[in-house]
Amino acid sequence: MRLGMVIDLDRCIGCRSCAVACKAHNAQPPGTWWNRVFTPGSEEHQVAVGSNGHLQMNFLPVSCQMCDNAPCEKVCPAGATYTDERGVVLVDYERCIGCRYCIAACPYGVRQFNWEDPHQAKERVGYQEGYEYGYPADYRDPDGRLVYTPNRPLGVVEKCTFCVQYTSKGELPACVQACPAKARIFGDLDDPDSEVSRLVQERQAFRLKEELGTSPKVFYLPPTKSSR
Amino acid sequence: MKKNSKMVLALASVILVISLIAWGYQIRNGLAVTNMRNPFSWGLYIATFAFFVGIAAGGLIVSSSVYLFNIEKLKPFTKIASLSAFASTLGAGAMILPDMGRVERVFNVFLHPNWRSPLVWDVIVISTYLVLTFLSVYVQLLPDWKRDGRGFLNGWTKSREQEQVDALAKKWSRRISIVGLPVAILIHTVTALIFATQASRSWWNTAVLPPDFVSVAVASGTALVLVISLVAVGKERFDEFQEAFRTLALIVAGALVVHFFLVSVDLLVHWWWGKPEGLEVLSLVFGKYGPVYATEILLPGFTMFYFFSKRGSSSFNSLLGGSVLLFVGVFAHRLMLMFPSFNAIPLSLSLPGLGIENWAYPIATGQLKEGMSVFASSWSYAPSLVEYAVALLPFGLILFVVSYALTLYNFVPQKGGLSSRNLNVPSLNTNDIGTLKL
Ligand code: SF4
Ligand code: SF4
Repeated sequence: MRLGMVIDLDRCIGCRSCAVACKAHNAQPPGTWWNRVFTPGSEEHQVAVGSNGHLQMNFLPVSCQMCDNAPCEKVCPAGATYTDERGVVLVDYERCIGCRYCIAACPYGVRQFNWEDPHQAKERVGYQEGYEYGYPADYRDPDGRLVYTPNRPLGVVEKCTFCVQYTSKGELPACVQACPAKARIFGDLDDPDSEVSRLVQERQAFRLKEELGTSPKVFYLPPTKSSR
Repeated sequence: MKKNSKMVLALASVILVISLIAWGYQIRNGLAVTNMRNPFSWGLYIATFAFFVGIAAGGLIVSSSVYLFNIEKLKPFTKIASLSAFASTLGAGAMILPDMGRVERVFNVFLHPNWRSPLVWDVIVISTYLVLTFLSVYVQLLPDWKRDGRGFLNGWTKSREQEQVDALAKKWSRRISIVGLPVAILIHTVTALIFATQASRSWWNTAVLPPDFVSVAVASGTALVLVISLVAVGKERFDEFQEAFRTLALIVAGALVVHFFLVSVDLLVHWWWGKPEGLEVLSLVFGKYGPVYATEILLPGFTMFYFFSKRGSSSFNSLLGGSVLLFVGVFAHRLMLMFPSFNAIPLSLSLPGLGIENWAYPIATGQLKEGMSVFASSWSYAPSLVEYAVALLPFGLILFVVSYALTLYNFVPQKGGLSSRNLNVPSLNTNDIGTLKL
């Protein structure tokens, strides 16, 4: 099994629901966003680019691209970053030594470091006292490695896990569930009949920074609404 | 002299204590006390680490060239070269630790090493180098220890004759140098590979980086040996070793020629193809970070010409001054490994038809703070006060180890009858130089 995702940029309305759902479900500390949505070319999100009446506004959600040839995994000195049997790149929060080599290595800027203690950060920025968000229980992979915990330890790296706490039970990742435009399709790339496989084959799917040879498992369908 | 060295030791201890306190503060509060954030995730610590790895090389390169290439003139300085190599390696290794988010877990690198990671290779070669330089210092001190009837971990030499110990020291320093030279070259190659392997960062991703690290290491490492020997020998006895100093200065200058050659071909290749990413990096190098880059080019450039000249390489002050300028330049060079690289965000897109090239996809900084955007397309990094304090660690450590070793033992060839004036070791006679020449 090789879990992958197709994001249809034609359908994406740039609402950032996926980013918010991701943030909440995965208990991301303040300032940490596993999933980002921006308007390429524009200083501000949701502001068109172009000139002379030829304006364009597309949206590009970016989270971990789940590279098959993942530089973050290859550089990790302690094997804290690894690919599980379903092709999902995960970080073991109990093994990460916080060297941040993987942040330098990832071409997609999706890896985030816990610069301060998440508990203290929530307090410091003034989140309401007692406001706990996110999936409440730890999740360990079948080998017992801690790959999700609602309050991350200080000094470790984190990133999108394809919602390992849900997808390991056969449910969909939070971003896929939350997308009101149904722009995200999730499934097994090894199964030729899955919707993701069909879309990748039949549509002009592309991947980010293809030239680096990282072989992401996140594919994008190009936007056709090029100007409006 | 004794009083002086006591003061140096005290200074080193103060520096060490300051850095340890700062490190403790950082451990309590997290790396948020630094000015690094997700878009700029390695800073002063890694640059300082690379700097000390660089100067660690010279040591063994000098001793090795004496044995391997028979550069006789350098013989008086092999001991001090090995000592400086050992101390700098120790400093480099120590600098890495405060950069870790979870320093108490570093053992995971040994428990679960990922053999694919250049960082693991670096741990291996640097540890090997640390052991080798330690052994090198140790065996070179054995004859003196035997003669003076003291020393450290040398009980086994008691039952042996002085000549036997001399021969043993000679044999083993030679052997260690032979193994040490390739390891010295490896520590730079592998440290450079940490960066050079990363195709996500075009500023690093070049095969020129490893040979360039080696050339900078030869230049700065030799300069460190030069400085320590100058200080140890003192102005009064400068003339005695003039030849050796001049040779060291020429090695520094020659290595810089190679360095500048490699740097210029690298820049040329980046510029010639003119990829937007490449040009962006160049505009950072010559624009925003122009002053730092000028420091990295002009100071070592000056040292290079100066050391080639008769004037620059034949006086105590000019050699000292030239070396110090070189250190500043090389430090700037190490910082420049980080600045352009982290400010060119790898995920950048071009929008053909709109004339937009190289639009950087914003990165979440990792901290929510009043008046600061959570997402950033560039990060103007400058180290925080805490970072500066923590980065004193290797400086304190090296100063401590070198000055302590210099007060304890005899690292400089002694002049007959004068030695006890300098160091608190029993007076040795001129034969000493003979023993060193082993
Ligand atoms: S996108 Fe980055 S973090 Fe995700 S697998 Fe690829 S290199 Fe690793
Ligand atoms: S920061 Fe953690 S996950 Fe990243 S390379 Fe270092 S040990 Fe591995």
